[in-house]
Amino acid sequence: MTITEALKIQQKAPAGAPVFAIQLVCGFTPLHMQTLLGAHLQQRVGDRRVTVATGLYGDLAGTLEAARTGSFEAIAIAMEWEDIDPRLGYRGAGRWGPGQLPDIQNMAGAMLERIAAAIEQLPGGVPVACCLPTLPLPPLFHTPGWQCAGAELALDAAVLQFASRLLRRPTLTLVNSRRLGEDSPPSARYDVKSDLLTGLPYTVPHADAVASALARLILPPPAKKGLITDLDDTLWHGLAGEIGPENVKWDLDSHKQLHGLYQKTLAALAEEGVLIGIASKNDPAVAQVALQRADILLSPERVFPVEVHWDAKSGSVARILQTWNIGADSVVFVDDSPMELAEVAAAHPGIECLLFPKNDTAAGYALLRRLRDLFGRPRLSDEDALRLESIRQGAAFRDQASGSGAADAFLAQAEAVVAIESDCSAPDARALELVNKTNQFNLNGVRRAEADWKRRLAQPGAVLAVAGYQDKFGPLGKIAVLQGRQEGDTLHIDTWVMSCRAFSRRIEHQCLKTLFEWYDAGRIHFDFAPTPKNGPLQDFFALLLGRRPEGPFALTRAQFEESCPRLYHRVTGGIGMQTNG
Amino acid sequence: MDDITPRLINCFQTVFPDLPGSEIPACDRASVQNWDSVAAITLVNVIEEEFGIEVDFEILPELDSFSRVREYLRKETHP
Repeated sequence: MTITEALKIQQKAPAGAPVFAIQLVCGFTPLHMQTLLGAHLQQRVGDRRVTVATGLYGDLAGTLEAARTGSFEAIAIAMEWEDIDPRLGYRGAGRWGPGQLPDIQNMAGAMLERIAAAIEQLPGGVPVACCLPTLPLPPLFHTPGWQCAGAELALDAAVLQFASRLLRRPTLTLVNSRRLGEDSPPSARYDVKSDLLTGLPYTVPHADAVASALARLILPPPAKKGLITDLDDTLWHGLAGEIGPENVKWDLDSHKQLHGLYQKTLAALAEEGVLIGIASKNDPAVAQVALQRADILLSPERVFPVEVHWDAKSGSVARILQTWNIGADSVVFVDDSPMELAEVAAAHPGIECLLFPKNDTAAGYALLRRLRDLFGRPRLSDEDALRLESIRQGAAFRDQASGSGAADAFLAQAEAVVAIESDCSAPDARALELVNKTNQFNLNGVRRAEADWKRRLAQPGAVLAVAGYQDKFGPLGKIAVLQGRQEGDTLHIDTWVMSCRAFSRRIEHQCLKTLFEWYDAGRIHFDFAPTPKNGPLQDFFALLLGRRPEGPFALTRAQFEESCPRLYHRVTGGIGMQTNG
Repeated sequence: MDDITPRLINCFQTVFPDLPGSEIPACDRASVQNWDSVAAITLVNVIEEEFGIEVDFEILPELDSFSRVREYLRKETHP
């Protein structure tokens, strides 16, 4: 991004829109770093207007300490060596030389301690994105430039130790220095003239790379949730139906390691909670033999559903999406055939279709990295490990419910328990994570920043219900969140989300019934707004109201009780209680 | 009008979006409220991108009006 482009992006931000306030913390003159960061964030926030505040020149630690009392939605830190000790930069008069190095190391340690303490004292809910020093150290060591000096390593070690400490803060993320090195080669980062004349040490391309990396950490793209893969010439090399399932390859000895690497990548993604499905035109029995081979690196247990037949792949993908109950835009489809990719893309707008480049190792390597970017998440939760199992259980649940012809009879013997936490004083991270990633059963599609979320939970009369679920088929974990406030006999619900894994169990009914009872409410006012994706919630409201609502509405207790089906769950928890699972 | 003037007006509009286009050709540092040292550097960056040249920061103080910047660009782009 050029500075001209950045300025134009910022100028197009809606003037009266709510502000997305960021603090840029750096010791150098921010100049176009501020402009570029603002523009990269503006591209990500859409209908809000980004403002980027900066601190005093040369005082990174002081700016961080002052940010403690500021009101920011996120903090971006761009550290450089000069912030750790001015002698590690070019603008000061401090001496260089062997005699200075012990003192520089001591001062650096003390300053890193001060910066770490300042970061630890920032408001807990505020996301902090940090970029560690990116510029080359000055030529102050006794070694020639091509030889690493011990003092240089000691400084690197001190910064790494500092970074490890920072990562203990749940809302802090670090720019990946290796990836930054690819986007902005080290030799093209430092602008000595700009540094000496203006105080900004970055070339424009490097400032752009750092700003882009920080913006991506502050507002990351939503991670994909599922991957559907082809088999022949994708998960393995060869056509299993032609050469036999025992002869398809994915190993180094047969020079087909790329397929093995792809299997390992999928296995790792599955372990992280990514859903893996198969859509293949093949003989099911033959494919099954290959999938069950002892040397396969992707365990078949990690894959569900498996669609292997000779019908169109778009149909297979449709059934897999239905089983997973997620939208096409959350899914990646990988196949070695451009024609199959085109057929699936045409039938499922929004799905990310990636070609498996079976004869191009470099492109295959790029594919593996692309998958890591598409599915990467800042951290894993306990629910991630439960996801596949709960979908299998959900499929079994639906099969049994429909097979019996009487959902009530099935639900009655499901031994379901809904555990509801409602402690506003101890909100857990999973609740906000659900709010910010759920689309289909979402009251209004509004995403909440952590600071805003905490403010809402601290308001008078605040109401929070976080529902977990399990039945004899197994646990689903925490799957629903309601947030609002009580005024008299009315509950105002501003946020309501439920995981798509929890559909068909009447949990949504139980949540409302429980709220009516616990808060002795006469009515619930929903801050509802239709979105392109919240059809399932609109359908649920239509059952209660007899029509699809078009905006905010109130539901009386009598209305609810009249249309609520029989519920079979055992409910645990209570107002102000944490159920601890 | 030469080729430089409209392109330079665009640069000024990018950096000073509140400045009416008709006032740009006659503007100078004293008449534009937001033309501070930061804006001066940003303006130079935008001009560099537009004209594909590198402006020596040391002459920044001399580029204190639209006409002076235009004159500088004439010399730089048509030496």
